[in-house]
Amino acid sequence: MLPFIDEILRYDSLSIVGLEKNTGKTECLKYVLSHMPVATRRIAVTSIGIDGESVDQVTRTQKPEIVLREGTYFSTSEMHYRQRRLVSELIDVSDENTSLGRVVTAKALTSGKILLSGPSSAMGLQRWMCGMRHFDIDLVIIDGALSRMSSASPAVSQSMILATGAAYSANIGTLVQKTAYVVELIGLELTSEDNIKLLAPLDKGLWWVDKEGGLHDLNMLTSLSSQIHFDGMETCSTIYVAGALVDGFLEKIRQNKSLKGVEIVVRDFTKIFVSPQQFKAFVKAGGCVRVMQKSKLIAVTVNPTSPSGYVLDSDTLCSRLSEAIQLPVYDLLKNE
Amino acid sequence: MKLKNVIESPCGIRYVLDQLEIQSSCARRWLLDTSMLVTAEDIDAAYASLRRFVTFVEQVDDSHLNTLQFKLQALKDIRTTIKNLEHGATLDDIELFEVKHLALLSIDVSKLLQSYGMADVAAIPDMREIVNILDPDGLKIATFYIYDSYCERLKDLRVQMRQQPDQADDLLSEANELENEVRSELSEKLHPFAQSIAEVQVALARIDVNLAKALQMKQRGMHFPTISQDDTSRYEGLFHPQVKDVLAKAGREFQKVNVSFGRRPTLITGANMGGKTVVLKTLTLCQYLFQFGFGIPADRADIAIKEEVYFCIGDDQSIEKGLSSFAAEMKNIDAVIKASRENRKLLALIDEPARTTNPTEGAALVAALLKVLSVREMSLVMTTHYDIEPGESHRLRVKGFVDGAMDYSLVEVQDGDVPHEALNIAESLGIDSEWIEQARKELKIDTK
Repeated sequence: MLPFIDEILRYDSLSIVGLEKNTGKTECLKYVLSHMPVATRRIAVTSIGIDGESVDQVTRTQKPEIVLREGTYFSTSEMHYRQRRLVSELIDVSDENTSLGRVVTAKALTSGKILLSGPSSAMGLQRWMCGMRHFDIDLVIIDGALSRMSSASPAVSQSMILATGAAYSANIGTLVQKTAYVVELIGLELTSEDNIKLLAPLDKGLWWVDKEGGLHDLNMLTSLSSQIHFDGMETCSTIYVAGALVDGFLEKIRQNKSLKGVEIVVRDFTKIFVSPQQFKAFVKAGGCVRVMQKSKLIAVTVNPTSPSGYVLDSDTLCSRLSEAIQLPVYDLLKNE
Repeated sequence: MKLKNVIESPCGIRYVLDQLEIQSSCARRWLLDTSMLVTAEDIDAAYASLRRFVTFVEQVDDSHLNTLQFKLQALKDIRTTIKNLEHGATLDDIELFEVKHLALLSIDVSKLLQSYGMADVAAIPDMREIVNILDPDGLKIATFYIYDSYCERLKDLRVQMRQQPDQADDLLSEANELENEVRSELSEKLHPFAQSIAEVQVALARIDVNLAKALQMKQRGMHFPTISQDDTSRYEGLFHPQVKDVLAKAGREFQKVNVSFGRRPTLITGANMGGKTVVLKTLTLCQYLFQFGFGIPADRADIAIKEEVYFCIGDDQSIEKGLSSFAAEMKNIDAVIKASRENRKLLALIDEPARTTNPTEGAALVAALLKVLSVREMSLVMTTHYDIEPGESHRLRVKGFVDGAMDYSLVEVQDGDVPHEALNIAESLGIDSEWIEQARKELKIDTK
């Protein structure tokens, strides 16, 4: 058993995030589930976003159903509940709607297969996590992906495992670099308590906070706007981007002398759509980016095989990536 | 007329509804789907039942109240499931779960009400038999699956599935068939109860709504009305909850008013900013609240039952429909005149008709409207600035400026003279004196 299993149990929530399809996220989820003490702890699992087909529509590779062991709790859509291949006891039918019906929660009474498709909105995921507390669930596990069109962010969980692999890049050097950048973003520090209190209720637009803690509207909807002006912001200490943070916006801030050393706050790392070069240049110029929600990255897993069949050398990949990110890296298939 | 059809009325009923602490969306939907009560029996019955809840919220301690509210949060809308059951369909596990969940909830709520000595507030059909069907092991917990005890063979198969996981998939197919047989049997057993399951859902929604209405009455100083016997509505200490809140935020107090109207048309005149429109809004709001069984925002109210309510106010929505404000207003009032020919008991509240056209024709239109509607079997309350012959109408005037402050109370007047306070009010608003003085000269008023 890999060492991170024990660490997972120290938190009340875990998300498993794949950097790309076929980076082994499902394998990782299966591994984690098969090593959870479901007989002694109440563990619930769901997937954010619609992930229904048992064959991946993009790459035509087999996308296995998840096998749950007796005693595991799970949340899925009504449609997938009806297709379950196990005996399970329904414990809740929620008001949360997905395109495949409402989200229902049940406890597996025998082991068997199930397709997971849980809440797909950010609010829906929050409500689901709160709801699970009513059923005395000790740990929730969220199957999440970054490439998917889902507003639900895995960063709401306390801990995280990142799955990467040849599907993300077939060149070890590039793969290590790209993965290390995401790891850096996941590790961004939290902004101050005061900022979180002030900014958390704002779900759209761009805002700035002056040195006295006063909040001002930048009167722009997104950081994609081409008409960005930073007039009269000499006392600015923090800029908050409620939506996506993009290259052009960061560039403009960097070029503005009066905003030197400013802190940019985003909700969580999934909102950052900035190239590594731009990000590094911004940090080098004295700026910093902070988040309001962060997960503790427990481990990184790799799948050295790409969907096209190309295979990277597992040991080289693991050691180089581990060196770059200073975290344990595992090839789950090899460790089985 | 259903509540959801009047929720966008400019009288502000949405504000009152939004303030209700209803616990479940199911109950909210049920409330919006209720019809306007048009008979004295129905209104009496609605208030009699609400009265029990008002006594309850006054007597019960907060923890009991919270327990009941928390329970009611679990109420789900399962109409689709009930319909399937009525049509004799076989319910699936999710639907059977919903039925069991509702049945257990109703028993819980009944027991709670009983323990508070409130068992008589609502007739909740007995669901114990349904629980017996869906809870064969007597576990009394709101979870569901096709239990082992429904079928011996199923039980054996499941044991085998656990013992031989590698063959579980094959065994599952047979188990699924057996499960379907059980579902079909259960659905047949439940079929005769479809009606009472539907009633239980409504009964629980009604409790949720009545509790919210009762709390609102207590918190907002609303009172029970009486039903007028002479087609005249009388209000004492009337206020508009939303306007009251807006004023309170600005540190000001709402001045309650007394007003009554009956078969004779009522004409309200008065200075600008004297609250005439607010009076019309409040009267419209109260008429709806009365006929949907809510508390009334007044110290005392004796209200006449109406079959239809028309509230005509020059609002901005007309622009969206592409009509000029005059055209939109004319069409609204036209609907009142047409409806008044049908001998139904109407209440029409019309705010400053024809105000956007020239004063000569405007006054003529208003005078004519008053004459046309005064011979109909209806109640009319209208505000105007125009100087028109009072005729048979009952006249009220906003008292207006007294010692430099606005007095919003309504006083009865005999003559048809309208107050001439526009210039004084404009002056008090700090409007440019060159303009105001020139206006006085135009009117040939001595400015000294």
